[in-house]
Amino acid sequence: MTRHKKRLFGRSGLGVIAIGLPAAMFLLLSLGTPDFFSARNIANVNSQITALLIVALGQLIVALIGGIDISVGSVISLTSVVLASLSASVAVPVALILAALVGLGNGLGVAVFGVHPLIMTLASMIFVQGFALLIMSAAGGTVPPLLIALAKTNIAGLPAGFFWCVSALAIVAVLLHKTAFGLRLFAIGANAQSAALSGVGVRAPRLACYMLCSLAGAIAGVYLTGRIASGDPTMGEPFGLNSVTAIALGGVQLSGGVGSVIGVVLGTITLGLISNGMNLVGVSPFFSAALTGLLLLGAVSLQRRKAIGI
Amino acid sequence: MTAFAPNDPAADAACVIAFRDITKRFGAITALSGVSFAGYRGTVHAITGENGAGKSTLMKLLAGVFTPESGEILLGGKAVRFGGALGARAAGIATVFQELTLLPNLTVAENLFLGREPRRFGLIDGRAMRERAQAVLDRVGIALDADVICGDLVIAEQHLVEIAKGAVADADIVIYDEPTAALDGPGVEKLARLIAQQKQDGKLIFYISHRLDEIFRLCDTTTILKDGKHVTTRPTRELTRDDLVSLMVGRELGHLFPRRNPRPRRQDPALSVSDFTAERGRPPVSFAVLRGEIVGLAGLEGHGQREILRAVAGLIAADGGRAQKYDASGKVTPLSPAVVATARAGLGLIPEDRKLEGLYQPLSIAQNIALGMLRRAPMASRARIDQDRIRALMGEMNIRARDASQIVASLSGGNQQKVMIGRWLASGVDVLLVEEPTRGVDVGAKAEIYRLLREFADHGGAVLITSSELTEHIGLCDRILVVHDGALVAELAGEDADEETIMRHALMGRPAAAAVS
Amino acid sequence: MTDSIINEPALRSRWPRVLGARLANLPISYLGTVALLLGAGLARPNLLQPFLLLLILRQAAPLGIAVIGQSLCIRMLSLDLSFGGIALVVSYILTSGLLRLPESELIALCLLFGVVVGAVNAFFITRLRASSVIVTLAMVLILGGIVTALSQYRAPGSAPPMLRYIGQARIGIFPVSVMVWIAALVPMAWFLRRSVFGRFVDAIGANPRAAWASGIPYIRTIYVGHILSSLFAVLSAFLIVGFVGFGSLSTGADLALNSLAAVILGGVTFGSGKGGVIGPAVAAFMLMFSFNLLTSFGLGEPGKEMAQGAIIALAAIAYAARGAAPAA
Repeated sequence: MTRHKKRLFGRSGLGVIAIGLPAAMFLLLSLGTPDFFSARNIANVNSQITALLIVALGQLIVALIGGIDISVGSVISLTSVVLASLSASVAVPVALILAALVGLGNGLGVAVFGVHPLIMTLASMIFVQGFALLIMSAAGGTVPPLLIALAKTNIAGLPAGFFWCVSALAIVAVLLHKTAFGLRLFAIGANAQSAALSGVGVRAPRLACYMLCSLAGAIAGVYLTGRIASGDPTMGEPFGLNSVTAIALGGVQLSGGVGSVIGVVLGTITLGLISNGMNLVGVSPFFSAALTGLLLLGAVSLQRRKAIGI
Repeated sequence: MTAFAPNDPAADAACVIAFRDITKRFGAITALSGVSFAGYRGTVHAITGENGAGKSTLMKLLAGVFTPESGEILLGGKAVRFGGALGARAAGIATVFQELTLLPNLTVAENLFLGREPRRFGLIDGRAMRERAQAVLDRVGIALDADVICGDLVIAEQHLVEIAKGAVADADIVIYDEPTAALDGPGVEKLARLIAQQKQDGKLIFYISHRLDEIFRLCDTTTILKDGKHVTTRPTRELTRDDLVSLMVGRELGHLFPRRNPRPRRQDPALSVSDFTAERGRPPVSFAVLRGEIVGLAGLEGHGQREILRAVAGLIAADGGRAQKYDASGKVTPLSPAVVATARAGLGLIPEDRKLEGLYQPLSIAQNIALGMLRRAPMASRARIDQDRIRALMGEMNIRARDASQIVASLSGGNQQKVMIGRWLASGVDVLLVEEPTRGVDVGAKAEIYRLLREFADHGGAVLITSSELTEHIGLCDRILVVHDGALVAELAGEDADEETIMRHALMGRPAAAAVS
Repeated sequence: MTDSIINEPALRSRWPRVLGARLANLPISYLGTVALLLGAGLARPNLLQPFLLLLILRQAAPLGIAVIGQSLCIRMLSLDLSFGGIALVVSYILTSGLLRLPESELIALCLLFGVVVGAVNAFFITRLRASSVIVTLAMVLILGGIVTALSQYRAPGSAPPMLRYIGQARIGIFPVSVMVWIAALVPMAWFLRRSVFGRFVDAIGANPRAAWASGIPYIRTIYVGHILSSLFAVLSAFLIVGFVGFGSLSTGADLALNSLAAVILGGVTFGSGKGGVIGPAVAAFMLMFSFNLLTSFGLGEPGKEMAQGAIIALAAIAYAARGAAPAA
């Protein structure tokens, strides 16, 4: 009845790079490095990727409305030191509440006062990092055994991280693709003014997005702290920018309105495979940090914006 | 002012909506003043008038986008005040906006149901949404799949979907704001069917348009606005075409405009444009602007005159063709699509939106004007600002300010407009491209701005303007080029032109009589 | 603050209002510095010894120089967070001994490097329209990663003698580095005030779209601004390396964020050069003084970071709130 073919990937932003890059990396690594398929390496990759995936899902939620949150790494660090310095019963709730407060601060700054999200979250990134260092100046402390068990136990031969990933993916996928809230995020991200004319509130969802992103950071922090089994006040440092790189590689448009959970998975795998591959062929981890920077530059350059500026 | 009122509107059960003495201002500009009339159930009610008559403003008040300064809107006999678009929708008023409000990343179905998605167990019921959307599309006769992403549709199809929004809405009053601006013949047919259906369902349909054919065909009642004032509300069958046009236009020009230069003009061009396509898909245009003359690009909104001007200025990249600038000695400079280059070549753009694109609001008058003087200065050189020249300019232009150090943001619209013109006068360009020369400017300042532009032309400059005010073209321009659908359909001499002629060309495109040189 | 005061100027003296408005318009750094000095006078009087003050001033010199570049970027609605990466590379070039070149050539190489980084930043920001925050942060990742990886093969050593002299020596009681700071500040202030470039920077900051539409060489101005900014970061790194006397992997780590905080405290906000160059310079001293004060209270590094974050957030909110008011 119509000449329009349904777009295969809709508003997911999936394209040649988002799909081809992880596939190419996978092919390259499986052919080029014999250790790649060893059980140990697969498990290793999985644990590296788990935390990044959870954070990147939070970053996706913010990116859909055209925002960005680089403070999420500091939230991981804060969560870590809270878990390692409070008693087991209150540690997790306190960590989650603190994260929600950080998100609320970001959301108020951006959605209510109209501060540029990069500036707002840059400020909270520094502040929260300082706060984490104030609580604990160096790695250490004891982590509740239950958390360690949650992060480390293998179930049915699958590592715990796998289940963290699957649950996080399921929750965010339903939220974004099945609820009215999710649909409205896509609408706001595409054009907030048109969305408002269609009768969609704009401010509250924006605020909620920043809180959800910080909460994703806290959950990633719980997982990481459990795995390492000690607190670390700078544990989250690389995650802020890495999560932005991951979603940008996964085809998520940083200007808003386009992106998907699958894209985030692919982007995260790409980033994980690159650092794993560098590791396997014996490149210095510092060079791979530099490569992450290059990837970030490449990924954001692929998304030409309308305006020049911050 | 008394309204059209066969009965007392408030007492009549069929009266769904009544406007009483509505006034709306934007800064110094009065967009609507003392408008009163009523709308009745089961009728199609045309709101018409020239560009800028206040049609869209009135409907945006009804849609909750704006709130009136004074006066009231009676809905079913009760005064209402909407807190935004959401409130108006809750009250049963749906609007199909003139500009596209579709979200390009959502499917047709999602766009149609955004804000009131059908749900099951708290989640979106995707299937119900699709089925209901498809039903609406079929009912209106739009051959589109509800699952297609709107960004993949061509503009005309997007407008059809926009119209389908009016069919989805469970509303008593449906507003269509210039719905046919981007529709082809079959599209208009679909809209006509939909409107007939809605009328039968007992809804009140407001139909904003200045297309006479459609008004006579579709509308039972017609309200005419002019300059923000209510002219009349009458049954359409009591009106003839000539009535309608003469009620919409016709105004005395007074002594607002400076006298045209009586000398025979020199025939050397300052700017020429040939086979020029400002936007993909538009027909190519060719014209020239001679030294000493003011040329107007007239036409209805959205017909491409603005894009032609912007492409000449280098602000948007033209799709094809050639634009050339001639300096006083006759030397030719081809214009490249970069504003830095066109400004260097001697073209100055005065944009329509002063705040957004024109002025440096937080800087002083002197700083704003001085930036023009630095048009060709190398960056590392010392900024030599001739303060005396700035003061002299301010005097000549009659800019009312404390002194040259006053911040531009604190000036009135007219004075801001003069600062923008002053910047280019100080820069020494000899071609001015002016969008809406007097938008948001009071009457006194208007006359002064016209005088400044005329003087600029008299001193050997060339001016090209776009304006949605026909009187401006007639009063100010030496030649008027009428644009319809991106093509130049008529060239009129300013002295001989009248509003009806321009409107006829602008509305109906290429008439047999019009010769285009 | 009632209308009656405005309407009846004859009845009440206006000067307290005028003075109040003047004070409220001053950069926060002026009042902040006075308040900090007074506070220190009460709580930690020994911090106010001239000797210590000069020491703090010398500490502030590298930051002060970086601040000149940062404020230039911020005035044209951009941001440069790549200072840390630049400082690391400069420190490595100067101290690793990887390149066996005479001191003057090493210094020239560093300056050339600054030009390249600034141009690359500007390229991504203007041509590819990437966000300046992301571009410059990515630059830090790249430069930092490379230097850290290289340091495994060849650790940084001691600084060239000339830079050590500039970083550490005094003439009389006056530190040479402070003189370098002033020598960078004064010509730059003059240049920004007097040159065509300065006018263009103000125009772009005030309204980038208008600058674009009226034919100001927008892209070239941003290139020049970012290159200058990187050059000031290189100069700042010279002072740090000279002062410390040897290279390290933490050289200039908090230069970018401190400079951002100082610029904002100094009254320069996004797109507005109101605080001039003096406001941010005073703010650089104020920040260094407050860090010393915080350290004396035992708050050290974490307190510093929280203060930086809070300053940036509050100033950004205050500016956004002020900017929103007239637009509405």
